[in-house]
Amino acid sequence: MASGNGVNPPDAGGATTGAPLVEPELRAVGAPVPKASPPGGAIRKVAVIGAGVMGAGIAAHCANAGVPTVLLDIVPGGAARALAAMAKQDPAPFMHAGAARLVTPGDLATGLPLLADCDWIVEAIVERPDAKRALYAQLDAVRKPGSVVSSNTSTIPLAALLEGASDAFAADFCITHFFNPPRYMRLLELVTGPATRADAAAAVTAFCDRALGKTVIPCKDRPGFIANRIGGMWMQSAINQAQDLRLTIEEADAVMGRPLGIPKTGVFGLLDLVGIDLMPHVAASMKASLPADDAYVLGMRDNPLVARLIAEGRTGRKGGKGGFYTRAKSDTGESLKRAVDLWTGEDRPSETPQLESLSTRDIRALAQHPDRGGRYARAVLLDTLAYAAALVPEVADDIASVDAAMRLGYNWKWGPFELLDRIGPAWFVDALRAEGRAVPPVLETVGDGRFYRVEAGRLQAMGRDGTHRDLPRPEGVLLLADVKRAGQLLAKNGSAALWDIGDGVACLEFTSKMNSMDPDILSMIGKAVSMGKKGAFRALVIHNEGENFSVGANIGLALFAANIAAWGEVESMVEQGQKALRSMRHAPFPVVGAPSGMALGGGCEVLLHCDAVQAHAESYIGLVEVGVGLIPGWGGCMAMLRRWAEAPKLPRGPMPPVAKAFEMISTARVAKSAFEAKEMLLLRPTDGITMNRDRLLAEAKARALAMVEGYAPPEPKAIRLPGPSGKAALALAVQQQVLLGRATPHDVVVCDHLAATLSGGARDHTEETTEDELLRLERQSFMALLRTDGTLARVEHMLATGRPLRN
Amino acid sequence: MTEIVIAAYRRSPFHFAHKGALVKLRPDEMAAQVVRALLDDTGVDPATIEDVVVGCAFPEGEQGLNVAKLIAFLAKLPESVAGATVNRFCGSSMQSVHQAAGAIMMGAGEAFLCAGVESMSRVPMMGFNPLPHPGLAESFPQAYMGMGETAENVARRHQVTRADQEAFAAESHRRAAAAQAEGRLAGEIAPVTVGGATVDGDGCIRPDTTAEGLAGLKPAFRADGTVTAGTSSPLTDGAAALLVCTMDYARAHGLSPLAKVKSVAVAGCAPEVMGMGPVDASRKALARAGITAKELDLVELNEAFASQAIACIRELGLDGAKVNLDGGAIALGHPLGATGARIVGKAAALLQREGGRYALASQCIGGGQGIATVLEAV
Repeated sequence: MASGNGVNPPDAGGATTGAPLVEPELRAVGAPVPKASPPGGAIRKVAVIGAGVMGAGIAAHCANAGVPTVLLDIVPGGAARALAAMAKQDPAPFMHAGAARLVTPGDLATGLPLLADCDWIVEAIVERPDAKRALYAQLDAVRKPGSVVSSNTSTIPLAALLEGASDAFAADFCITHFFNPPRYMRLLELVTGPATRADAAAAVTAFCDRALGKTVIPCKDRPGFIANRIGGMWMQSAINQAQDLRLTIEEADAVMGRPLGIPKTGVFGLLDLVGIDLMPHVAASMKASLPADDAYVLGMRDNPLVARLIAEGRTGRKGGKGGFYTRAKSDTGESLKRAVDLWTGEDRPSETPQLESLSTRDIRALAQHPDRGGRYARAVLLDTLAYAAALVPEVADDIASVDAAMRLGYNWKWGPFELLDRIGPAWFVDALRAEGRAVPPVLETVGDGRFYRVEAGRLQAMGRDGTHRDLPRPEGVLLLADVKRAGQLLAKNGSAALWDIGDGVACLEFTSKMNSMDPDILSMIGKAVSMGKKGAFRALVIHNEGENFSVGANIGLALFAANIAAWGEVESMVEQGQKALRSMRHAPFPVVGAPSGMALGGGCEVLLHCDAVQAHAESYIGLVEVGVGLIPGWGGCMAMLRRWAEAPKLPRGPMPPVAKAFEMISTARVAKSAFEAKEMLLLRPTDGITMNRDRLLAEAKARALAMVEGYAPPEPKAIRLPGPSGKAALALAVQQQVLLGRATPHDVVVCDHLAATLSGGARDHTEETTEDELLRLERQSFMALLRTDGTLARVEHMLATGRPLRN
Repeated sequence: MTEIVIAAYRRSPFHFAHKGALVKLRPDEMAAQVVRALLDDTGVDPATIEDVVVGCAFPEGEQGLNVAKLIAFLAKLPESVAGATVNRFCGSSMQSVHQAAGAIMMGAGEAFLCAGVESMSRVPMMGFNPLPHPGLAESFPQAYMGMGETAENVARRHQVTRADQEAFAAESHRRAAAAQAEGRLAGEIAPVTVGGATVDGDGCIRPDTTAEGLAGLKPAFRADGTVTAGTSSPLTDGAAALLVCTMDYARAHGLSPLAKVKSVAVAGCAPEVMGMGPVDASRKALARAGITAKELDLVELNEAFASQAIACIRELGLDGAKVNLDGGAIALGHPLGATGARIVGKAAALLQREGGRYALASQCIGGGQGIATVLEAV
C-alpha cells in the first residue's frame, strides 16, 4: 500500500474468507441471524422446479446436504436428463455418488403431487414473470401449508412476482438467488418482501447457511440485487473503457485481474466463461427495471463486436467455438491461443501484455500510472467503485454486505469498499472531483478515514452515520482472522503460529507459502505438544483460513538438500516429521484437524494423525506423493494400513488392507469432497463434515472440547502384513498396468518401494509389524526414491511447472 | 467295461459379474438351486448319489470351506451323500466329471453329482488374499501371468489378427443369440431365484454385436495389443451341474442318457500361452478314444479368448462350423468353475440333439494346461 496514513483495510481476501456480515439493523428486514438450530432447521425435503443449469445445480447441492430433493422440469424427461448429465460434469455438482440418489427427477405435468411434503420449493424456471406467476398458482394448489417458496430469479423484482398471489403465498415467499455453480459459489442473496413471514425467511436462511454452506446476504428488492448490479456495471465499464482507451483484451484482462484482486480471467476471459450471449439479456433486463438516469443505464451502448460474436455463435467456452479468445491448431498441431482485436474485430495470435503499469503492485500506484493500463484501471475503478458506493443504502444498508457479495459472488479478493480502503477514499474522492463526477454520500462521510478499522482487536465497519461498529458474527461462527486481530498468540515462528481460541483450546495455524509443510511447521507441532503437556491448553485444533489447508511438504527443500547430497539432513527431516506427528497423535490431549480446500501429501498426513477431523465439505484430501516420485513418509502409509485393517467390511487376511492402501496411494487419488474422503477412509466414519466454511473452526473446537473429558491417547498398535508374498502380488498388478501403458518406467520403481513398505518389508505374515518398523520402512523407501534420477526429475518438473512428470 | 454316461445336465442362467442379475446371489446358494433342479428333473433318489464333486477356481469366501458339502446341505441332499471341492481353475468342473468317471471305473460309486460354480462378483479372480511365491514370481513370472497377457502372446505367436478375433467373437454372439431366440438354450437353464425374483435367461449375450462394432474397442490388456473386452470372455456369475453315472444306473432309474464318456485327458503347456492347453489335452483324449479330429461330429471348445480358440481350432484342424454350435463363452460368459460342466453337458446334449457319434469338450486352463473329454453317442 502506498498510503501510509490510516489503518490497514481488513484482510478480507484470500486468507480470510467472507463472513456472513450482517448488520444489526438488517435483521428487521426479515432475515434474522440464524440461531443454533439443528442443521437444516425445519427444512427436511426440498423441491426445485426447472432443471436448467441453476435448478439442477441447486437440487444437486441440496442432495449434497443429505436432503431428499425433487427436481421437476416442464420438458418431459428433462429432469432425468439433467441428472444424468450432472453425473459426468466437471467440476462435479455432486459431492459423492450417493448424493445423486437423493434426487428424484420428474416432469412438471405429472410430478406436482411430489411437492406435497416438501418444506422448501425453489423455482428456477425461465425468467418471465408471467410464467413464474402461473407456476406459483400451480404450486400453491399442492404445497403443504407453511412450506416456503422462493424464486432463483436474478432480475425480476419480488413485488412483480407476487402480483395476484394469495396473502398466504406472499407470506411464504422470498427470493433466494444462487450463483453458478451452486455447489461452489458461496454467495446466496436473499430478498424478502413486506409480507414475508420472519420465520419463513429464518428457516431458509438457516438451511442455506448451515446445510448448504452459503453466506446469506439480505438484499433490498432492487434489480440485480447486489452482486450482479455492481458486477454488471463493472463488466460494462471494463469493456467500454478498454475500447475507448484502445487496450488489447489481453492488456485489459491483465490489468482488470490479479492487480485488483479479481480472478485472472479479468473481464473478457470472464465473459467467455459465463457466455457472451448473456450480456444483452442482462443489459435489457437492467435497462427495463432501472431508472433511465442510473449510471449503469447511461453507460449502455450498442456493441457491434459483441453482436457479431453472438451472431457467429462464438459465445464463449461453452459453445466450443471460443469467444473473445479462441484456440487454433498450428501447422505442427500445437494449440495456439488467439484473441479478438477490439477495434478491427479480427482474430490475431494472442500477445503477452507489455505494460509498465503492470509492474506496480499497489492499486493506487496502478490507478495513477500514466500508461494506458493505468488510465484503464483508473477509469474502471472510478466507474465501478463510485457506482457501488452510491448503492448504499439502495441495495443494502451496510458496506460489509456489499463487500461480501462481491467477494463471494464474483470471487473478488476485496469488495468495493475494501478496494476503496486500499486506494484511499480521500484520494478517490479527489479523483472523482477532478473529473467533475458526483461524490456518493458514503464517500463524503468517510472523509479522510477508512471504511474498516480494527478497534481493540475487533474489526469494525463504518455505518452510514460515519461511526464504526463491530462486525457481528452469527452465532456458531468463529473466524481465526478475528482471533488473530485480538492477538491471542501463544507461539509463532516463520511458518506456523499457535493461537488461543478460548475455552482452553489452541489453534495451530500454518502460515507458510501455500501452507506447505516445512521444518518450522514440524517444530511448531512439537512445541504445541510440549505446551499442551504442560497444561497450556486442553485441546488443539489444526486449522487455517488459507485457500488450502496445505498443499503438502515443501519439496523444494528436499530437492535442494538432494542436490547437495545432504542425505543425512533429508532423512532427519523425514524422521522429524514422523516424530512430530506421532507425538501429536499420542499427546495427552485431543487434536482435531479442520481442513478446507486441498490437504495433500504431508498436509493429509497431518490429518491422518489427528484424533478426529472436522472437515469442510469442500476438502480435497489425498496422498499424492507418487506424483513427485516419492511415497508418504510421515506415517501416511502406516495410517492408511491401520485404517483399512480396521475397516469392518473388508475381507479378512493380510492382503486386502494392503491392496486398498496401495491402490489409493499408487494412483495419487485425491478425494473430491469430504464425503469422498470418508469413502476412501482418509476421514474416519466418525469424523465430522461442515458445509459452511465460516462454521468450521467453531465446530472443530466444539468437537475437540467434547473429547477432553476422559481423553486417552491411542496406543501404538502392531499390524499383520503379508510380507514379500504380498509385494509379489502387488508387482503383478503393476505389471498389468505397464502392459496397458498406464504405468511409466519410474512408476514401476516408485510402486516397487511403495509395495515393499505397505507389505511390511521382509517380515513374514505370521509375525506382526510394529509402528516403529513401518515408519522405518517408510523412511527407507522415501530415501531410496529420493536418490533416484527419476524422482529428482519429477520433483524438479513439479517445482518448475506445477504438473507431475510422467517419466 | 463299465459304461459311464452323462445322464442329465442343467445350468443356471449366466450373467455379467458386478452388474448382472446374479450379483446378489451367493455362489453356494446358486449351485444348490441348480443341483436341486437337476435332481428334480431326474427324479432319482438322492440317497443313491455317492458324492457331490464341485469345481471352483477360487474356493474361498462364500464358495470356500468345502463348498461341495455345503451345497449338498443347501440342496437338501441326505447326510449320507459326500462332497468334495475340486480346483483345476477353469477346468475345475470338467475335472469333477473326470474324477467321477475314474471313481466309477474303480467301482467306487455308481452315481455322482458333478457341478461347478463361480461368482466372479462375490469372490474376485485371484482371491481375496493373493500371495504369490516371491521367488517363483521372480524366476518364473509366467507362472503368475495374467490371462489377458497370455491371450496376447497366443495371438502373436499364432498370428491371429484382431480382425480374425472380432469375426470369431461376433459369430459367437450371433450363434448364441439365435439359440436363445429359437429357445435352444431354455432347456438347459435351471431358473434361479435371487431375493424373491426368478432369473431364467442368460444375461451376457449381445445379439447386436458386430465385428465392426468390436473394432472400435480399446485393447484391454496391452496398449499395443489386439485383444479387447469384446474378444474375451466376460467375468461371469454362474453354476452348472451334471449327473454322471453308470449306464446301468441310468437305465435302472428310467433316465435317457445324453452321451457316454469315451475318454479323458489333461496336459500341461507353457503358462505364457496357456490358451493352447486344449491342443495337447485333446490330442491325448482323441488318441485314447482311438479316433482322429476328423471323426468328431461336434466340439465344445471353451472361448476364454477368441485368440486362443482360433489358434486351437487351427492347430487341431477342427471344422469351425462344428465348434460351439450355440455360441461359446465370449457370448455366454465364463464362470470359471462352472464352465467345464457346462461344455461337457452341452456337448452331450448336442450329440443327442444333432446326432452324430463323437463329441469333444476341451478347455484351456490358467497357469498352463488343458483338459479334454471325448463323448460318444449312446
